[in-house]
Amino acid sequence: MTFTDPLFLLALVPVAALALAYVLLQRRRTRYAVRFATLPMLDRVAPTRPRWRRHLATGLVLLALGAFATAAAGPEMRLRVPYERATVIVAIDVSGSMEAQDVPPDRLTAAKGAAVEFVRELPETVQVGVVAFAEEAELVAPVTADRALVENSIQNLQSDGGTAIGEAVFASAAEVVRQAAASRPTPEGDTAPDADTADPIPARLVLLSDGFNTAGRSPASSVQAALDAEMPVSTIAYGTPSGVIGNGARTQSAPADDETLRMLAEGTTGHFYRAESGAELDQVYEDIGSAIGWRTETTLVTTPLVLIGLALAITATALSLRWFSRLV
Amino acid sequence: MTDGAGNNSARNDSAGRFRRLELTVRRRVDGLLQGDVDGHAIGPGSDPEELTQYQPGQDVRRIDWNVTARTGEPHLWRTRAQHELDTWLLVDRSPSMTFGTARTEKVDVAEQVAAAVGLLTNGPGNRVGIGLIDEAGLHWISPRPGRAAAAALTRLDAAVRQGSPAVSLSDALRGLGARARRRGLCVVVTDLVSPDGAIERPFEWEGALRRLTARHDVIVVEIDDPRERELPDVGEVVLLDPETGAQREVSTSDPELRIAYAMVTALHRDETAAAVRAARAEHLRVSTDDDWAAVLARFVKDRRRAPARRHRRTP
Repeated sequence: MTFTDPLFLLALVPVAALALAYVLLQRRRTRYAVRFATLPMLDRVAPTRPRWRRHLATGLVLLALGAFATAAAGPEMRLRVPYERATVIVAIDVSGSMEAQDVPPDRLTAAKGAAVEFVRELPETVQVGVVAFAEEAELVAPVTADRALVENSIQNLQSDGGTAIGEAVFASAAEVVRQAAASRPTPEGDTAPDADTADPIPARLVLLSDGFNTAGRSPASSVQAALDAEMPVSTIAYGTPSGVIGNGARTQSAPADDETLRMLAEGTTGHFYRAESGAELDQVYEDIGSAIGWRTETTLVTTPLVLIGLALAITATALSLRWFSRLV
Repeated sequence: MTDGAGNNSARNDSAGRFRRLELTVRRRVDGLLQGDVDGHAIGPGSDPEELTQYQPGQDVRRIDWNVTARTGEPHLWRTRAQHELDTWLLVDRSPSMTFGTARTEKVDVAEQVAAAVGLLTNGPGNRVGIGLIDEAGLHWISPRPGRAAAAALTRLDAAVRQGSPAVSLSDALRGLGARARRRGLCVVVTDLVSPDGAIERPFEWEGALRRLTARHDVIVVEIDDPRERELPDVGEVVLLDPETGAQREVSTSDPELRIAYAMVTALHRDETAAAVRAARAEHLRVSTDDDWAAVLARFVKDRRRAPARRHRRTP
């Protein structure tokens, strides 16, 4: 916790002095007791209340004062705040090699499950789009806040043939730009917004692939498009080196292309991940999710602190009223 | 030198106290006793005189001539040996008595009432013995004439103000019964507050008191304080029990607490009065805000008017 006006923390000094005085007064209490000879008879009438009740009420009041004094100094905390306008595009490789079963039950099903989970973990304010790429890149679900639509689109992915990583990046970049333009507030009675002058919104592409780029434009050429759209690409190299697909007669190994994917990620200021199993994939998606949906921001926490102090004071007063028939 | 002077002043002070006490008793209490043949209203009832045959050497002035003429033998009146009128004072000076919110503390009133009783039983040969209950135990002052006993009571050191008394009231009464062998008057001056806060019969001192009243005339003088009857409304106070040293915080502004406490003390008073009555002892209540001389005078007057209780059939 940091403070905008640390000087006001001096207000804690009188509070600490009060606490110290209270403790000292408890010790000295024996000097100010009044003698009473029939105290045993009085004990019959009034049940002895344990002393901790008194101390509890006073302690709560002192804590409340401390909270107020701290709030006066303008405390700030680094909190995880969701992005207000963030876009994530999930690109999944649906080529034939995704039918390999080195990741049970098969690569595509595991990837779909992990992706759905990833989407669910994203904060509400993030809009999600889905791109599936095989021979070509297809925008399966445009960027939307409708999570149900996104989940359905992911579940309905079918494997095809080929792998077009570069095309996926191009398609995603184009979608991001389009969405930024569509959501920009229109000036009154003006012409339609121009896509070229749209402000880029915080967007990110999470691309999962298990093979080499075999179709479409090369990933290297898509790096510039991603940079223009200010869309960092995080890539996940999926699958084990020993993954094989085949229908009995003909087997074909389907390793993942680490180098290209790494280049793509680093070129666009994203991150590169490897996932060789369903569990690793879940972990990767979790890491990405916590990195892109949220950001840490220092916010002023004065109001919560004041409310905490108020709650403590009210509790202390209520307890005192209940136990001692006094407000203080 | 200063020590001597200090001692002197202390002695003067206690001598002054005694003089004031004597004056009070003589003017306000003893004044009612003038003209009484007995000379003192307080004392066991006079035993009837008896007629015996004259033995050489006895006092010839006591010969009853009517009876001598009738029987032909010299007979004389003889009174039972009455001069050894024993009075015993048991004064409670435990720390619970060192409490008082009116003019004085309970222990001061106790000492003064006991000394007044000592002065009232002053007569040739009458002896007054004193037992003092305090925090260290039971002390006895050997029997001496009434004036000397009253003087001893005014010369006592200040009572110890805290600590649990080593001796309970029942033990003290038993000790008194063991010491006072001859029939006489026993005056027990105490506040009848038990350390465990008992408020209902049977009290622990009832048995010992009954045994005492079987042999002697007993007067129980109960000293109390108005604040013990009712709690005042003074807000939050920390109360300290002088005997156990325990403290507790009490919110005296709570009216329910005050009412409950007043009821408890009223019950205690009723129960002690019933217990003392059941033990066939006499009961006198003096409060610290009362004028103890007036209360004592009234008691003495009432007692003289109803002497029948005092005669007891002894086996």
